[in-house]
Amino acid sequence: MKRTMGWNLTLAAGLGFFVALVGLPFWWVVSGSFKLPQEIIARVPTMFPQSFTWQHYDKLLSSSDYGTYLVNSVFVSGLSAFLTLLLAIPAGYAFFRLEFRGRETWYRVILLAYAFPSIVVLIPLFTMFAKAGLVDTRLALIIVNVAFALPFAIWMLRSFFGSIPREIEEAARLDGGPPLTVLRRIMIPLTAPGIAAVAIFAFVTSWTEYVFASVMILSDAKRTIPVGFSGIIGQYQVDWGLLLAGASLAILPVVIVFALIGRWFVTGLTEGAVK
Amino acid sequence: MAVTELRNVSKSFGSVRVIEPLDLTVQSGEFVVIVGPSGCGKSTLLRMVAGLETASGGQILIDGSDVTGKEPSERGVAMVFQTYALYPHMTVRENMAFGLEMAGVSKAEREQLVLKAARTLQLENYLDRKPKQLSGGQRQRVAIGRTIVRDPKVFLFDEPLSNLDAELRVQMRLEIAKLHRELGATMIYVTHDQVEAMTLATRIVVLRDGRIEQVGPPSELYADPDNTFVAGFIGSPRMNLMPAIVHAGDGEGHAVIDVPAMGLKAFSAPLRDRLAALPGEAVFGVRPEDLVWARDGEPSDITLTCEIVEDLGSNVFLYNAASRDGSIVAELPRGVHPAPGETVRFRISDGASYLFTEAGARL
Repeated sequence: MKRTMGWNLTLAAGLGFFVALVGLPFWWVVSGSFKLPQEIIARVPTMFPQSFTWQHYDKLLSSSDYGTYLVNSVFVSGLSAFLTLLLAIPAGYAFFRLEFRGRETWYRVILLAYAFPSIVVLIPLFTMFAKAGLVDTRLALIIVNVAFALPFAIWMLRSFFGSIPREIEEAARLDGGPPLTVLRRIMIPLTAPGIAAVAIFAFVTSWTEYVFASVMILSDAKRTIPVGFSGIIGQYQVDWGLLLAGASLAILPVVIVFALIGRWFVTGLTEGAVK
Repeated sequence: MAVTELRNVSKSFGSVRVIEPLDLTVQSGEFVVIVGPSGCGKSTLLRMVAGLETASGGQILIDGSDVTGKEPSERGVAMVFQTYALYPHMTVRENMAFGLEMAGVSKAEREQLVLKAARTLQLENYLDRKPKQLSGGQRQRVAIGRTIVRDPKVFLFDEPLSNLDAELRVQMRLEIAKLHRELGATMIYVTHDQVEAMTLATRIVVLRDGRIEQVGPPSELYADPDNTFVAGFIGSPRMNLMPAIVHAGDGEGHAVIDVPAMGLKAFSAPLRDRLAALPGEAVFGVRPEDLVWARDGEPSDITLTCEIVEDLGSNVFLYNAASRDGSIVAELPRGVHPAPGETVRFRISDGASYLFTEAGARL
């Protein structure tokens, strides 16, 4: 069907609107981080920077612990995402493949984990972690992040496993593949888009997690970006240049993760397998 | 090569019985085709042999050893799926070698076996392609190649040709027949296509509602069906089956009958069992090709009014009431094209008609 000119213009305008909606704040933050302080607070805001400076970045990295926070965040989020996958893939496969009593019930029950706001479990968790000597360790954050990402990850991966034609797995069974080999050699490559989606989900939730990070971590050297950074900008008055530079740097690892993992988002992965 | 034996094997899904307890022995080197309408349990039966479904009762023996509780890979069987079920992220070579790799065959030997199978199936030029770069027929060949390389005791085929177009289906059918001859392997093949069954099988098993209706060589099933189901299922167009009134036996293996729907009176129909007790009413069967067109002046048994003529080129079929149940189909010689409404006379070939009880059993 051929679209009319009017339709094309409407679609382009709609597309432009949504691109601006998502893109403009990013542009504002990133471009602002390079502006001189007087331009940032100028009465008439500038869309395109009239000045250029590294001074905010310089200040951020030299006179604050931002670098440490960044490393902590990458460590906590990276490891959380990795552990989430490590546990969710076999668990999702088990929920999909194995038949056991109450499978469907358990499958639904795991999502109940999201029924409780994090603030509700915060105090009891803190007490438990204190007893286990985990307070003020990055491990505590990893445990919490994994625990909160896991139910959704399992839930999502199971449906990805379910989308693979049954015959492929049966053929692998006939070929003599033990379950873990079938999982590794056949199922994981075929569910790569799902695994990538789960990895990004787990990484981003850890990256932006604030509540637990603000309570479980006591020493400055172990803080992650959301908590540490909020301290930097609150210390004096609001230093907008510093804020924008910090926000820009905080986006960067997420963009890198998307770029690396995004390659797995290939469509038509099972094309040619059946029919 | 191995004898496959099903002893009293049954299958239920929950409270639904899909396979009644049945016995079947497939001899070494035999090509057994299981046919039946969809939902008759034929695929379930095959999957039980493969080990993809567990039997609810009975025993399955391959090569003398009980495999009923064994894993699919421990049974020495290989299966070609209706949907090919290739590994989409692997090349043709990897697809074919995967089973060998799992069996611990060395890399060099794997390569050799894959090449040999690829040569048999004319796939040498495609070994480095992924399944999505292949045509339907090539994919099906890869699926077959994957089974050949493993040199299984029994080959299992689950409607392997039903996803192919008509021309390719004929070609692959011939290739499978050739393969069976070359390998001399035991093959069990499931299909709902009776042409595939007739052309490939050394023996056909006709299955209905999880019960075996008849087992025998194709020609036997065609010429000597046990019941109306087999009579109707084997042969295309299907056998004409019409209610008949039985008068008496002639004591020499015939029953004297009337078939009102055909206008047939006092016809002498052959009986399988000359001593059978004859019921008052029965079902009369005659194949379209056994209704012989009678020229002017030749004697005839029945007269049909032509409603539709189907000319397939090699065959011409006349239907007397195409839209209704109980329509009679007759084969015409090539080139004979009666006009709709015209009456055509036919003779019934000697000894080529059948009589069944109303319940369907052969008389």
